Amino acid sequence: MSGSRKSTKRLKSAKELNRVVAEFYLECNRAKDEGRLVGWMPPMNGAIELFYAMDLQPVFPENWSPVCAAFGLTPGNFDIAHGLGYSRDLCGYLRNILGYVHGDMHGEQVPLGGLPEPDIILTPGGGCVPVMKIFHALERRFPDAAVFRADLPQVAVEDIQQHHIDYAVDQIKALAAFLEDQSGRKLDLDRLAQVVALSDRACQLWDEIMGYRSAVPTPFSAAEMGIMFVMVTRQGTQEAVDFLTMCRDEVAQRAADGVGVIENEKVRLFWDNIPLWYNMGLFNYFEKAGGVVVAETYSAAWSLRLDPAKPIEALALKSLQSYPLVSCVSIKKRMDMVLNACREYHIDGAILHRNKSCVPITLGQMDIKRALEQKLGVPSLIIDADHMDAENFSEAQFQTRADAFMEMLLERKA
Amino acid sequence: MSLDTSPFRQAAAEAWAALADENAPSALGYFCTYAPVELIHAAGYRPIRIMGGSGSISRADALTPAFICPYLRLAADKALAGEFKGLRGLMQGYTCDVSCGVMNIWEQNFPCEVHHTIPLPYGKGPGAREFLLKALAEAAEKLAAAGHPVTDEALDKSMDLYTALRGRVLELYELRQNGLLPLSAAELLEVINAGFIVEPVQYRSMLRGLLSSVQEALPAGQPSGVPLIVSGSIIEDPAILDTVEAAGARIVSDDLCTGLRPMLPPDGRGDDPWQRLADRLLERSPCPARTRAENRVEFITALANNSGARGVLFLLQKFCTPHLADLPDLRRCLSEAGLPSVVFELEETGANAGQLATRVEALLEMLGD
Repeated sequence: MSGSRKSTKRLKSAKELNRVVAEFYLECNRAKDEGRLVGWMPPMNGAIELFYAMDLQPVFPENWSPVCAAFGLTPGNFDIAHGLGYSRDLCGYLRNILGYVHGDMHGEQVPLGGLPEPDIILTPGGGCVPVMKIFHALERRFPDAAVFRADLPQVAVEDIQQHHIDYAVDQIKALAAFLEDQSGRKLDLDRLAQVVALSDRACQLWDEIMGYRSAVPTPFSAAEMGIMFVMVTRQGTQEAVDFLTMCRDEVAQRAADGVGVIENEKVRLFWDNIPLWYNMGLFNYFEKAGGVVVAETYSAAWSLRLDPAKPIEALALKSLQSYPLVSCVSIKKRMDMVLNACREYHIDGAILHRNKSCVPITLGQMDIKRALEQKLGVPSLIIDADHMDAENFSEAQFQTRADAFMEMLLERKA
Repeated sequence: MSLDTSPFRQAAAEAWAALADENAPSALGYFCTYAPVELIHAAGYRPIRIMGGSGSISRADALTPAFICPYLRLAADKALAGEFKGLRGLMQGYTCDVSCGVMNIWEQNFPCEVHHTIPLPYGKGPGAREFLLKALAEAAEKLAAAGHPVTDEALDKSMDLYTALRGRVLELYELRQNGLLPLSAAELLEVINAGFIVEPVQYRSMLRGLLSSVQEALPAGQPSGVPLIVSGSIIEDPAILDTVEAAGARIVSDDLCTGLRPMLPPDGRGDDPWQRLADRLLERSPCPARTRAENRVEFITALANNSGARGVLFLLQKFCTPHLADLPDLRRCLSEAGLPSVVFELEETGANAGQLATRVEALLEMLGD
């Protein structure tokens, strides 16, 4: 087991991120106080843009889990969930959020005021099973909330056809009608187009930032991945664009000046699967041997483009693609993505996080491992851990294996 | 007097052995019963539900993590051992993340004629129905591309065949529910599991024979044992159910995908075979990977009301997220409906008989027996 440990960050934007995170959760609670409708929803779909376009407040229970991990609230939430009968073998996001909502949601120990209770719950049919089950349980926990049952069957990205998009478009339209009904307000399509344009701009900035990471030395490592917070919670807002612009400028300058994450970058690493939210400092561990985590799979979920001229279709496509891109719905596509990233970012070795809390991302890793070795000659290290539950991670074991892996990579490069 | 189910056991064993031959008759596999078996059959393949068996795993670590259900790990292990060389591919609907992921892993490691996951809508409205019809048409295109086209006539016949098979199995369930089936739960499981591998026309004839013998073998007197429902996903080893009944229970119905769940409804409604197929898939009895715990409470309490069951034994595959996530609320609601329950998780090596018997005895004690 390991305690909660934050990463060492080098970007000035990291300080600004703290303000952005705090402001988001304060805004969520303010919305409740002001009588604006609060909707709980899964991330990585087009509902967020609809909410912002209609001046409604989106809340992401999944995103609250990393906050709980960072503030050390997770073990207490797990205890509550286990007491209710939820198995320790279930996803840590599920156990954390269900423990949280069945505990004191606004207690003294809860940071940022906690989450405001939902007026609306957007339950997915689609995505991964644990997220579906979280929302089924939330419906029971908050019986007064109005529920929208979304239906987005999982389709591998490479298999998406027009009729899948048409169905997703119908779903986005049905959600818009539901929100109009709940809020008593009409969706302004011009406003939606503006929001989608902002969302697209955020994706473009995201790609630019990620692109600068191919520089040698890299100006930005996975230790700074907290910036994805704005992609999860703020997509479609000017705040996201402003923050990412600042971040892009800083990263661009560092790249132009040849300023790396560390002084003597020797080994460039790739990370597969979700980070250990309670131990982001793990990304810094490799630095003592000159290793930097330059790229990761998870960031690809926001590497999409949205067409503001067709805002509804754009949101439908986003909703269809984001989850399959990073999960086992599309192993072929994911493998191509990892191989391309390893070429583009000049990767020397890959860390494959075998994540007990996320089976959909873990499945396929062995095939990715083989492809990396056979097609690129890139060796990889599997580490057994969990993105939420520190009980499923042994830091000592990790360090032993990581040290040996780094030694091997350094020898290969010598 | 009990009925002889050994022909089912024997036919299944022969069919499994034949599947290791790469020149076996064309067969397509699936893990999850949301596979459109009628479509696969109409294309000229024999649909086969891949089984994992039980035992220690020596090869599957090369493909999957250890924290997925034993069923799919054991199946991967067998595939690596060459036991499914006769399969021409896989086709099923998307239900749980793990079966979808393992399906895609198979595609990488065991290249075949057909590998296709059918996206299944979660709703039931007109839009969902249209979506599913298109998804089934797409699946048919994949089959045709492999040289196995599907005609309306063939699909109609396959729908009739599988509807008849499910109807026969439901007759057995009806008899069991009324205490008139001279088969133990383990024997009935053997009959059902044979249906996942034996050639369907042969299986229909075997079921017909079994049902015609029932009249001659009616049980004498009231059956003994406390009536229970078994709920879970896949159970392969009949000995597990023997252990349950030997501990003093009598399994009167089930909520299993090696049981009643894939039999309901036996047919779909519609003017053409595609509509029938889509309707049946949309109206399937509730699987936790696709529905809410509330739907399952309704289903299980109705089973209990019809069968006289007094409690529920959850026999789950370890690490099975859809089932584990439903359990807290499902058990609470069933308890409020007067149906206490216990949970037992099945591991790679199956079930430890002593531990399982103790768990069943605990449930019987709760019921005052």
